[in-house]
Amino acid sequence: MNRLRALFLAPSAAFTVVLFLAPMAIIVGYSFMTRGVYGGVTGPWTVENYQRLFDPLYGVILWRSLVMSTLATALCLLIAFPLALFIARAEEKRKNIYLYLVILPFWTSFLVRTYAWMFLLRDSGLINSVLLSLHVIQKPLPLLYNETAVVVGLVYGYLPFAVLPLYSNLERMDKNLLEAAADLGATQWETIRRVVLPLCAPGMRAAGVLVFIPCLGAYLTPDLLGGGKSIMIGNLIQNQFTTARDWPFGAAISLALMALVMVLLLALLRRDGEEAL
Amino acid sequence: METALALRALEKSFSSHRVVDGISLDVPKGCFYSLLGPSGCGKTTILRMIGGFGEPDAGEIVLNGKRLNGLRPYERPVTTVFQSYALFPHLTAAQNIAFGLERRGEAPAAIAPKVNRMLELVGLQEKAGRMPANLSGGEKQRTALARALVVEPEMLLLDEPLSALDPALRKRVRIELKQLQKQLGITFLFITHDQEEALSLSDQIAVMNKGKIEQIGTPQEIYLTPATRFVAGFLGAVNWIDGIGVRPEATRISRATPGNGARTVDAQVETSVFLGDCFHVQTRTSAGVTVTAQVSHKDEPFANGDRVHVWWHAADELPVRE
Ligand SMILES: Nc1ncnc2c1ncn2[C@@H]1O[C@H](COP(=O)(O)OP(=O)(O)OP(=O)(O)O)[C@@H](O)[C@H]1O
Ligand SMILES: [Mg+2]
Repeated sequence: MNRLRALFLAPSAAFTVVLFLAPMAIIVGYSFMTRGVYGGVTGPWTVENYQRLFDPLYGVILWRSLVMSTLATALCLLIAFPLALFIARAEEKRKNIYLYLVILPFWTSFLVRTYAWMFLLRDSGLINSVLLSLHVIQKPLPLLYNETAVVVGLVYGYLPFAVLPLYSNLERMDKNLLEAAADLGATQWETIRRVVLPLCAPGMRAAGVLVFIPCLGAYLTPDLLGGGKSIMIGNLIQNQFTTARDWPFGAAISLALMALVMVLLLALLRRDGEEAL
Repeated sequence: METALALRALEKSFSSHRVVDGISLDVPKGCFYSLLGPSGCGKTTILRMIGGFGEPDAGEIVLNGKRLNGLRPYERPVTTVFQSYALFPHLTAAQNIAFGLERRGEAPAAIAPKVNRMLELVGLQEKAGRMPANLSGGEKQRTALARALVVEPEMLLLDEPLSALDPALRKRVRIELKQLQKQLGITFLFITHDQEEALSLSDQIAVMNKGKIEQIGTPQEIYLTPATRFVAGFLGAVNWIDGIGVRPEATRISRATPGNGARTVDAQVETSVFLGDCFHVQTRTSAGVTVTAQVSHKDEPFANGDRVHVWWHAADELPVRE
C-alpha cells in the first residue's frame, strides 16, 4: 500500500523538485551574489541586493502594485459576484454554457487578448473612433497608457479566476435558505446582503487570493497597457533580468514578492481557521 | 367557525404533469389542519404556493379575507417551517430567531425580549448562542419553529417538520407541537405522509391522493368512516372481504360458531405474529382472501392450520363508497 502511494506521488514530486524547487534554489543563490558585467552572476556573496530593496524608489513601485492589485481585485469581486449568482441560479442546462463563456477567453493567448485591448483603447481605437464619429467627444480620450488602462486589463484578465470559486460556492448553497429568508420577510436585496454574501465569504476569499496574487506579479498588462509609464513589481523584476542586466537584484525582488504574498496568505488562512472554530 | 385560509380550485402543473388538481379546502381559525397523503401527491407544492414559492396555474388562495395570489413571499403574513429547517448556518439560534423581526424593521430594543420569550417557549434559553451546526436535530427543529412563530404569522405552514427526527424524539416533539399550537392559538397547516402523526395531532385532516382531495374530516371521521378505499387503506390496515372493509382490530376469530348478528366467514390460520401489545393472526378464507385479526393475549392461542370462524359486527364495517 505504501509503495503504491509512493508510486502515485512520484510524478508530482519529481515535477515539483525539478521544475519548482531547483529553480527556486538557484534564485535564492543568485539573490546573494554580485551582478556580472554582461548579465549573469559572479562572486562575492553579498546581502546588498536585499538592502537595495528599501530604496524609496522601489517602495513607490511596490505601493503602486499593491494599490492597483487591490483595486483590480475589488473590481473583479464586484463584477464576478452578480455574474456567479446569475449563473448559479440559471437553469441547469444553461449553467454549463455560461461557464464555458466565462473561460472562453482562455482559448486564445493572453498576449493576443492584451493587444486586442490596445486596439480598443488607443487614440485611433474602436472606442475613441465611435465616440468621435458620434461627436460625443472632440478629441480622443486618453484611454491607453495609464493606470486606469492597466487596472481594466487586470480585471479583464483575471475575472474568470474570481467567477469560478464564487460560482462553486453559490452553487452549493442550500436554495432553501433563500426561500427561508424571503419567507421571514426579507426582500431579494436583503436576502443577498444578509444570507448570500455572508455565506459566500469563503468563496470571496478564494477568489480574492486567486486574483490578487497574479495581479501583484503581472508584467505583461502594465507593460502593454501602461506603456511602461506606470510600472509594477513584475516589470521591475523583468527589467533586472533584461535591460538592467542585474540578475541578483531581480532574484532578490522576486523572493521579496514571494515572501509578501506568503505573509498575506498566512494572515488569510489564520482568519479562515478562526472562523471555522 | 371563521375561516382562516381558503383554497379555491387550486391547480398546478409541472411540464404537463398536473401535480395539484383542483384543490379546495377551508382551514378554520386556530385549527391544527393536516394535509395527509402519500409521497409525491402534491402536498409540498400546495404549501409552496401558499408561501409564495410558485404561483398556481388556476385557483385562489385567500387568507383572512385577503387574496394572496401574486404577492411576494415576504408580503404574505404566513411563515414556513421547512422540512430541512433551513436554519441560517452563519447565525446563532437567537440570531436565526431574530432574523424575521429585523427584516420587519422592528426596533432592536423590541427584538431581544421577543426572541428571549420565544427561546423560553421552546426551551432553548441555554442554546441561544449556539450555531445551528452545534444543535441537535430536536433543537434545530425547535429553533426553526421559534423562528417562524416569533413574527406572529396569521398562519404557520409546516412541511413534515418531524420527519428528520428519530422515532422516539418524534413522538415527544409531536406532543410539544400540539401543546404549543393550542397555547398560542395560531392556525397550523401541517403536511405529513404519516397517518399516525396526522391522527394524533390534527383537528381536521384533508387526505390527498394524486393531486386531489379524497376526504376531509376529523381524525375519527377519517379513520372510522373513510369515504374511499384509498382513505381506508391509507389510514390503517383493512381486510377487504367481498368488497366490505373491516379493520383488523374489529375483526375477531374463534373456533366456536359466533353468536347471532355477527357477519362470519370460515378460514384457516396461516401465521400468528406477536407484536408485544397483541397478536396479529393472519388467516385465509375459503375464497382465498387473506384476513388479519388483532387478538389480545387473553384470547385462546391459535396455531397454524387451525380451522376458525372469522367474524365482525356489521357496525364495524367501513362505509366506503367505492
Ligand atoms: N419544481 C418542480 N418541477 C417539476 N416537478 C416537480 C417540481 N416540484 C414538484 N414536482 C413534482 O410534483 C409532484 C408532487 O411533488 P410534491 O413535492 O408536492 O409532493 P409531496 O406530496 O410533498 O411529496 P413528499 O411527501 O415526498 O414530500 C412530484 O411528482 C414531483 O416530482
Ligand atoms: Mg413534500
